[in-house]
Amino acid sequence: MNHALMHYLVWPLIKFLIAFVIVQAIVAAMNWIERRLLGLFQARLGPNRVGREWRIPWGLGQIIADPVKFLLKEDIVPSSAEKVAYYLGPMLPLIPAFVVFCLIPFGPPPTFIAARVNVGLLLILALTSTGVYGIILGGWASNNKYSLMGGLRSAAQMVSYEVPFGLSIVGVLMICGSLDLVTIVRYQEINAWNFLPQIVACFIFLVSMNAENNRTPFDLPEAESELVAGYHTEYSAMKFAFFMLAEFSMMIVNSCLIVTLFFGGWTLGMFGLGLTTDVLAKMGFMGGLLGTLIFATKVMMFMLVYIWIRATFPRYRFDQLMDLGWKFMIPLALANIFVTAIFILAGQERLMYWIGLGAIAVTAFYLFKPRRAVQKVIHAAG
Amino acid sequence: MPLVEYSKPRWSDKFLILDLLEGLKTTMRELFKPKVTVRYPEERMEPHDRFRGMFKFSYDRCIACKLCAVACPIDIIYIDVHDEIIQEGEKKKKVKVLDRYDIDVKRCMFCALCEEACPTKPKSIWLTTKTYELATYDRNDLYFNMQELEYWDERPQYTGLPEDDQKKQIDGQKQIAGDVQ
Repeated sequence: MNHALMHYLVWPLIKFLIAFVIVQAIVAAMNWIERRLLGLFQARLGPNRVGREWRIPWGLGQIIADPVKFLLKEDIVPSSAEKVAYYLGPMLPLIPAFVVFCLIPFGPPPTFIAARVNVGLLLILALTSTGVYGIILGGWASNNKYSLMGGLRSAAQMVSYEVPFGLSIVGVLMICGSLDLVTIVRYQEINAWNFLPQIVACFIFLVSMNAENNRTPFDLPEAESELVAGYHTEYSAMKFAFFMLAEFSMMIVNSCLIVTLFFGGWTLGMFGLGLTTDVLAKMGFMGGLLGTLIFATKVMMFMLVYIWIRATFPRYRFDQLMDLGWKFMIPLALANIFVTAIFILAGQERLMYWIGLGAIAVTAFYLFKPRRAVQKVIHAAG
Repeated sequence: MPLVEYSKPRWSDKFLILDLLEGLKTTMRELFKPKVTVRYPEERMEPHDRFRGMFKFSYDRCIACKLCAVACPIDIIYIDVHDEIIQEGEKKKKVKVLDRYDIDVKRCMFCALCEEACPTKPKSIWLTTKTYELATYDRNDLYFNMQELEYWDERPQYTGLPEDDQKKQIDGQKQIAGDVQ
């Protein structure tokens, strides 16, 4: 009895708390990393001053200064706001974003995953899609037309992109034959990482996870040139920080998901070679830590991809956003499922790796091949 | 006829993904380019040669003719002079000696008419000093008398460093100034 209690309640809770604290530290740091990197992308330096009095380099004091500012600011509640919904708004997206971290395998099982659920992927999808309630509720309760429009846009966008998001995963599920994230990773280390056979699904997943998080090419819910700040216009101080916290946590969740599903999770090797789970298991606990480090590195890479994409692309118009979602992403995802099914039926799964490799090679060729002169100026006669 | 002729679109230009990746490539290239920001208190930009900055005054060159005070359009140069008789061999010579040469810099518009009016060569009041750190916490700090006008550039510069470092730098500057004297 006592053993069962430890096994099913105490240890998972401790693991979850450790993961939670580390992830929240990363979330706090992400604010600084994002601003700094955006600056570097835009030919400036970004915040590099805070903390110089205490000899903290590179403006790292910003990481502490931002939460302190949020805690100390005045918390304004609009007099005409719907109080209960207004207070619920920032809390609702936080809860699923935090709970999801007990389902993600940060390292080799059974040590580095809080709760191994055999339908883990389905549970994560179900939890993350509830995040939109808080945004709609917050937007409506603010009693402000711009907030409401932001909330409704967010709802429409999230519902639209939930479909390609889910469909892009189906191809992976068909190949791996499991919804358990650990099994998916174990499959990838024996065969190739899933981004090779599922290159289209990987692309769709990358785009829809940006849309799910309301990140920049799809940040219509908070389009500041149209809607002031969207659904969090009326929120200040810690309530606003909760929205930001939920957004960054969801970014980390989605990065974890894409790493687990398409980029081999905590392993660093393909076809049974390299740092696979078995190799890590021989190294004992340190091997597990190494696996977690590999996982964290991959996740941070995808966090940087988020920022990279934000620094590159302009915002979509709302109807174009819907067109992209319904007319391009969903048919593409369905076609991907169809093609994958044909390959699996024909028993030619290895062929998909080569097609994926070929697609990457062709793209790289067209991307890096020397360009002809783009334009030619002809002087007007006379 | 169009002035600019673009190359024909290739079949590979029809793929959106290539354009997107091209954009990502461009931003990634920008990430590693040197940045234009000048981190001001630590790094400073050297003004150009004809930059018009704070005044500088030379007591040795000044002949106390008051032409600058006359030229000043807002009358912020205050000059007091008395005569002294100097024995030069046989002759007795009358020389003007400056008692007071004050400029109320807080009201100055840096038109440099005083510099133009100055008859000495080289000028005994000039503005091409390449300085721009004139801000003070009290507006009366911008009333400069003769000594301050001549030696203001020995004031410590704002370094932006933590306080103990700044003190060290000031001490160092004082030491250097002492060595010169």
